[in-house]
Amino acid sequence: IMSGSKPDILWSPHHPDRYVICDSELGLYRIGPTGGSETKAGALPLSEETAATLLAINSDTPYMKCVAWYPKHEPECLLAVGQANGRVVLTSLGQSHNTACKELVGKEFVPKHARQCNTLAWNPVDSNLLAAGLDKHRADFSVLIWDISSKFSPEASVASEKIRLSSVDLDSSTVVTKPLYELGQNDACLSLCWLLRDPKLLLAGMHRNLAIFDLRNTSQKTFVNTKAVQGVTVDPHVHDRVASFFEGQVAIWDLRKFEKPVLTLTEQPKPLTKVAWCPTRNGLLATLTRDSNIIRLYDMQHTPTPIGDETEPTIIERSVQPCESQIGSFAWHPSSQNRMVVVSAANRVMTDFTVFERISLAWSSTTSLMWACGRHLYDCSEDGAEGAIEKDIATKMRQRAQSRYGHDTVQVWRNHLLAGGKDSQLKSSHMKQCAEDMELKLQGNKQAVVYSGIKNIVKTSSGTTESRRCWSGSDRQSDVPRYHSEERCLALRLCGWISRGPDIDVEIFLRSLEHEREWERAAAVALFNLDIRRAIQILNKGATADKGDLNLNVVAMALSGYTDEKSSLWREMCSSLRLQLKNPYLCVMFAFLTSETGAYDGVLFESSVAVRDRVAFACMFLSDAQLPRYIDKLTNEMKEAGNLEGILLTGLTKDGVDLMESYVDRTGDVQTASFCMLKGSPGDVLKDPRVQCWIENYRNLLDAWRFWHKRAEFDIHRGKLDPSSKPLAQVFVSCNFCGKSISYSCSAMPHQGRGFSQYGVSGSPTKSKVTSCPGCRKPLPRCALCLMNMGTPVSNCPVTGKSEEKVDLTRENKLAQFNNWFTWCHNCRHGGHAGHMLSWFRDHTECPVSACTCKCMQLDTTGNLVPSDSS
Amino acid sequence: MDLHILDHRLRVISISKSGLVHFTHPLIKLIFLRNRTRCKFFSLTETPENYTVVLDEEGFKELQPSEHLKVESSIWLPLNVVSNGNASSSSQAVGVTKIAKSVIAPLAQQHVSVFMLSTYQTDFILVREKDLSVVVGTLEEEFNIYEEVGGESVPMLCQDVANALQKNAKEGRGAPPPLSVSTTTRPTVHPVLIPQNQFCVMSLDPDTLPSIATTLIDVLFYSNGPKEDAQSSPSRDLDCIKFFSFSLIDGYISLVMDTEAQRQFPADLLFTSSSGELWRMVRIGGQPLGFDECGIVAQISQPLADSDISAYYISTFSFDHALVPEEDIVRVTDMLQNQRKEPAAS
Repeated sequence: IMSGSKPDILWSPHHPDRYVICDSELGLYRIGPTGGSETKAGALPLSEETAATLLAINSDTPYMKCVAWYPKHEPECLLAVGQANGRVVLTSLGQSHNTACKELVGKEFVPKHARQCNTLAWNPVDSNLLAAGLDKHRADFSVLIWDISSKFSPEASVASEKIRLSSVDLDSSTVVTKPLYELGQNDACLSLCWLLRDPKLLLAGMHRNLAIFDLRNTSQKTFVNTKAVQGVTVDPHVHDRVASFFEGQVAIWDLRKFEKPVLTLTEQPKPLTKVAWCPTRNGLLATLTRDSNIIRLYDMQHTPTPIGDETEPTIIERSVQPCESQIGSFAWHPSSQNRMVVVSAANRVMTDFTVFERISLAWSSTTSLMWACGRHLYDCSEDGAEGAIEKDIATKMRQRAQSRYGHDTVQVWRNHLLAGGKDSQLKSSHMKQCAEDMELKLQGNKQAVVYSGIKNIVKTSSGTTESRRCWSGSDRQSDVPRYHSEERCLALRLCGWISRGPDIDVEIFLRSLEHEREWERAAAVALFNLDIRRAIQILNKGATADKGDLNLNVVAMALSGYTDEKSSLWREMCSSLRLQLKNPYLCVMFAFLTSETGAYDGVLFESSVAVRDRVAFACMFLSDAQLPRYIDKLTNEMKEAGNLEGILLTGLTKDGVDLMESYVDRTGDVQTASFCMLKGSPGDVLKDPRVQCWIENYRNLLDAWRFWHKRAEFDIHRGKLDPSSKPLAQVFVSCNFCGKSISYSCSAMPHQGRGFSQYGVSGSPTKSKVTSCPGCRKPLPRCALCLMNMGTPVSNCPVTGKSEEKVDLTRENKLAQFNNWFTWCHNCRHGGHAGHMLSWFRDHTECPVSACTCKCMQLDTTGNLVPSDSS
Repeated sequence: MDLHILDHRLRVISISKSGLVHFTHPLIKLIFLRNRTRCKFFSLTETPENYTVVLDEEGFKELQPSEHLKVESSIWLPLNVVSNGNASSSSQAVGVTKIAKSVIAPLAQQHVSVFMLSTYQTDFILVREKDLSVVVGTLEEEFNIYEEVGGESVPMLCQDVANALQKNAKEGRGAPPPLSVSTTTRPTVHPVLIPQNQFCVMSLDPDTLPSIATTLIDVLFYSNGPKEDAQSSPSRDLDCIKFFSFSLIDGYISLVMDTEAQRQFPADLLFTSSSGELWRMVRIGGQPLGFDECGIVAQISQPLADSDISAYYISTFSFDHALVPEEDIVRVTDMLQNQRKEPAAS
């Protein structure tokens, strides 16, 4: 017979190693590990680890349309088969010695009018009930519920006498013709499932509608018109969630909101043949279409139930390909996680397949990494990679935030010490801030308030004078021209070579370098100031100092042999040998001494030398023509490299933002960027979207770390420098009686109000006595614990609170405390002083107002969080 | 009760017996190769006169125009009555009897010509597309009327109904005469023929259609051959008529054949009611009936409904055919004879 019967698979409800394949016949298989002792010659490999053995075949029931496995433990292998003519036959596979089974096997349930049986469903609780869904026949019923325990009815034998056109001989002893329930008149039934929430309810996919029949009242049904009536199936994990399909479209229904599908899945180009919820995993639906070798999976785990109209459901869709061939059907394993057996559309090729769980990965706000797969959760940590974690910018920023980096707004230069003091770039950027400070003091208000960088300063340079000074301690005229101007002098100050004040002597700087044991650098600075003797003296000092480098003496000797004779051996040797010196400052000293006048590239482009030193050098020895060119070049180099030392050149201008951008791109250090750029001009720099982005990201970081105090401090600091960043008041307290805002109506301030300062929550003590609404003069609510009106400062002994004590407590330090704030529950609207409430809820879960059972504190999700910075 | 106007636009065609050979290819395609055609509604009925084909426009495209093909010019729309399960009627009767009073009589009264097609699964009432507004206007009181659009049932809008009534009033030129009046002025009573063969109404799983293909082709297309021999037995020729109907509508197969034809099919593939009832035929019409006369179905179904006798009804290009239960044929015969006397008496 050419039969288009497509194969299907059923897992045994009670034996996790057995399943039945039904196509033109029924085949019972046992699945087991490959190579196990049970493996016989006939075992079919299903995967690398498993194989199946055919246990029994049943070909007694031709024209099978659907099969359902008896849900109870005993009889264990009883199957109901629905046939093309609408008859339902009970049959079994393998031998059973169970008498109950013997009685049942062979029993037939025959509808009045023959038509195709589309679906069968055993009642999961009352396993005697078997529902069969049939095609339409005139005014007949299409859902028949048979009682398999019913004995044959006498009317049936009468009927069989009448039969003249009997196609199959009806053995009246095994034939049941009277169903227990008849439902769905004048309709066709295409799919059925019993609802798990109540075994008296049967969901049926009828002709263009889904109907729920209630066996307690069969004259009524709940129904919804839809085309998606095929393959109805209840989610085993969410009993109100049902899937059904029509052609390529799956509809998901919530039985509590049955008017329309709560969602429809993306339509597939070919008609669906099977849709099944995973029994071992919440919210995972597998679907199969005709002529396909993939199974499509929809993960609705994170879809909120019930799904509201507003919420956009999140469904993760993916495909798996269990085997090469086209899939005929599949079935989830009842207990093994995410496992299924797949049977090919042709030749009954079976595959044992486990759907690999998606891996989800998450970084914590600190550095730990977690990943989850299925029911496993893994905490990822790097072994012994302390160094790597320390280098990580997120860790660094967190540590720096913890040590209050950026928060010293008085002594800005100290911040690099707070950051750990190891980073030369940070140091220089704060040196700059320090210098800026100085600049402001020097210049008063003459120049722009915000530091605009040496680049701009030297551009405006005018009135440069040139001098040729003697080498100090020698009467020989130097042939090195040195340039002076007010701006160059300022630049030198900014570079830190000369200190503030009228004194332009470099000696103070040299001493500080000596103090910091930066011998080579000090010597170079001394030399650039044409004091060769001082340079030698410094090197000598360095050689003899504790743990000093004796080689410095050798350098000092070499230096003392300086001659300006162009063709001397000294010059020749120094200019070539200097390149072998490891210390860049020693190297540039000899470069300077051996250079031609005005050609100092050996010094200017020695990148190991600090930018400020090179800039200072340039300001001394480059002409007005050379200097801006050099500074421009250096600036661009710094910008490209994202080198913070370049801030000295760019200042906190747009150029500075560009530089900072490449610094942030390179390091991710939004912390330094935020603090640094806060000092920029509110007009240009702070308005720059990049700057705003760094600041917002840094604030988010602080929030994520629960450094709420740090963030508050940052916001305060930011508010001082950029008043526009202060948010407007968003919450106002209105009077219960007159409805006016109590903070607004009494203060002359506009919206950006003073908040609760008048109500004793902060600010000046003199205004702290308002205990009634300024609008209507009615008293403000009372604290549920001390029974004082709002606006009264908190008292330590609320019951016996005397006026004297109150006066005592109105001292500013007390008032400023959070304890005096008035707070209340948004649910029950009871409340009081924050301090009282906090202490109450330390020991209680319910609202302090008697007879109120509100669990206020548990409703406050943020109230239970603790900041992780302890300031 | 609901009345569904199905989403099919149908043509009614006849193929002459001699011309069948020109149409075997498209007919076999329409019957057996469901996946190769977009035709959703197909019915083929063989009568001694000709073959009647009712099919939708997609199917109609398959048939080449020919001198052997007669096409009724109208588009016909199938209507289907759905009782919502809680049918109050205590009647056990099935088929057109159930809708005789609610649908057929009122339409006859409104001079709406109907073409009936009963199948194993249901009864289709075909009406001309141009009559739809009158049909809706006539039946909207009794029924909730739904229009099937793209597979969804959509309730007919009130406005459509209002328009329909207006149209009806215009065309009907005033109020239609009450039923009692119309019965007295009932048009010609057609002669009936009651052949001796017993018929069965059966169905088949479409998946098993290939397995009966040869038998079906034999019965449908080669029935004339063996019948030549049968004609040698004149008694049979007088008493029996050739009638075989196959329909494939929305994926459902229905077969109407006599017991002789039924014996040619494998016993376990065709299915019918468990009681295995047999039917006798009443053929209506001496001359071909045409498509414009109304009240023919009502003429038969009304008295059957009065007596609560089940009936199926299959209209063909030339004649109408009612099928009544074998055990009721005597009652039906008497009833029809009385009916013929009545007009003479009045």
